[in-house]
Amino acid sequence: MSILAITLSAGSLLSGAAATELQGPVMGTPGAGGNFLTRLLEWLGPPQAVPTWAIALTSVLLGVAILVTMVSLIAMWSVWMERKVSGHMQCRFGPMYAGGWHGWAQTIADGVKLLLKEDLIPKGADRALFWIAPAIVLAGIFGALAALPLSYDWYFARMDLGVFTILALGSTTTIGVVMAGWASNSKWSLYGAMREAAQVIAYEIPLGISLLCPLMTLGTFSLIDASREQATLFGWDCGLGWAVFTNPFNIAAFVIFWIAALAETKRAPFDLPEAESELVAGFMTEYSGIRWSFFFMEEYAAMFLMSVVGAVFFFGGFETPLTALMRASGSDGTLLYSLVCFGTLVLKGFAGVFLMMWLRWTLPRVRIDQVMTMGYKYLTPLALLCVLLTATWEFARHLVMG
Amino acid sequence: MVRVKEYFGNVWKTLATTWGGMRITGKYFLQKPITVQYPDERLPIPDRYRGIHYLEQEKCINCLACARACPIDCIEMEAIRHGKELEWVSFTLDYQKCMFCELCVYPCPKDCIHMGTEFALVTYDRSELNHDLLSFRGMSREARIRMKEAEEKKKAKEAAKAAKEAAEAADSKDEKGEG
Repeated sequence: MSILAITLSAGSLLSGAAATELQGPVMGTPGAGGNFLTRLLEWLGPPQAVPTWAIALTSVLLGVAILVTMVSLIAMWSVWMERKVSGHMQCRFGPMYAGGWHGWAQTIADGVKLLLKEDLIPKGADRALFWIAPAIVLAGIFGALAALPLSYDWYFARMDLGVFTILALGSTTTIGVVMAGWASNSKWSLYGAMREAAQVIAYEIPLGISLLCPLMTLGTFSLIDASREQATLFGWDCGLGWAVFTNPFNIAAFVIFWIAALAETKRAPFDLPEAESELVAGFMTEYSGIRWSFFFMEEYAAMFLMSVVGAVFFFGGFETPLTALMRASGSDGTLLYSLVCFGTLVLKGFAGVFLMMWLRWTLPRVRIDQVMTMGYKYLTPLALLCVLLTATWEFARHLVMG
Repeated sequence: MVRVKEYFGNVWKTLATTWGGMRITGKYFLQKPITVQYPDERLPIPDRYRGIHYLEQEKCINCLACARACPIDCIEMEAIRHGKELEWVSFTLDYQKCMFCELCVYPCPKDCIHMGTEFALVTYDRSELNHDLLSFRGMSREARIRMKEAEEKKKAKEAAKAAKEAAEAADSKDEKGEG
């Protein structure tokens, strides 16, 4: 099962990476924008006899290992965080016992429980589809995360169209969800899957359009370049030239992006595919044990991914005054600088995850027709309006500032 | 124009109400939780709380007033009387039946049965719910001492009586002898 997921994610990593990565930098010019894993392997100095394909394969496998660890860690930490945040928002503690300190090991205990649970497949289920659906869901999110740079010089693949890759691979999870809903042979599951499909199609549009606003402000599709672009605020390298600061319409765009991202990741108030109060557990009704946890891992990884995309394109990516200070003091390019950049991104990502949780525990769920109304009648036209206004602002800015 | 106003009004209302809600949940998020970690800490229980009974066994005189007052007959007691002292065999209260009405507390002439603040009645077996309220079985140390003292007193009294009788008999003998 997990082997399949890893294989699929390796496939997606390869297909994501192959186009930009394996032809050029891996083979020939290390250092010049090469994958950090490849560079690491070359720095370790394997003998010349080792063929380049072996190095490429090792770096891909290493990347898959890192991704699997990353997704598991993100899911583990986010689940614990969700439980603590929801607890405190309801004036209670949340988990407190497992592991000693504030129940930090709760998710590990839950994971062990899920691994030991009986793996049920319903009698009338389409076994092959039922079996493969969680893997596809997880592989989609692995592929999307593979397009994510971890720091200025830590990335699996340097993609000039990184944000497109992320959005495209991120929305392939819908296929897995629809597959799961269909294969379960249960009306709840099918309802959940159809809702997921309808919802994702409706919100894919405002998500993409609202992302166009910062893309216009920053003038790049690459996450690394977008981050680098936001270092300077009106020519001053202070690490605060974030898209929301340089263009006020980006704030509106961010609100639209955020609502659409909530719907994309099936989070409350848009958790219609899961719909505990109506559809038992939606498309996950018939799943149990580790298969079920794959869907959960996907949800939390997708939350983190969307938060990071939001952070990169609206809130400066790796850039904070701290990184600007480090650049000014000349520690640019050191390991510490990379670590700080990585930490900044992770912190911003989890700040976004916290915002998602905050919204989840604040808002009541909406009806499916309200979801559709919001997506098509409100967010899409408003996103288009935002694009128009951002473009006008950028045009004016370029006229004034040259 | 009205439609347009309504449209943007809806947008504004959505944002404003969401922000209002987020402020409320944010406030609760920052304040201290009102729940307590139950088995480790407990909320204070009011004095008049009707929990599991406790018995001041030394005071009890086995008068059965509480057992008679109980509307569902869940109290049973047994003690062997040694003069004034009691040798306790059992004093059971069946919590499968008990409805915590506190009617057993009022008729007690010695004010020795009370309702406590303990309320957790979780057991692995229903038979464990038949609580024995005795803190000891048999006789208490004090009762034994009191009984011994009483016996010694009695013996001493009897001995004194016997001695007196003997003395009186001797006296009458003497009187007879002289007379």
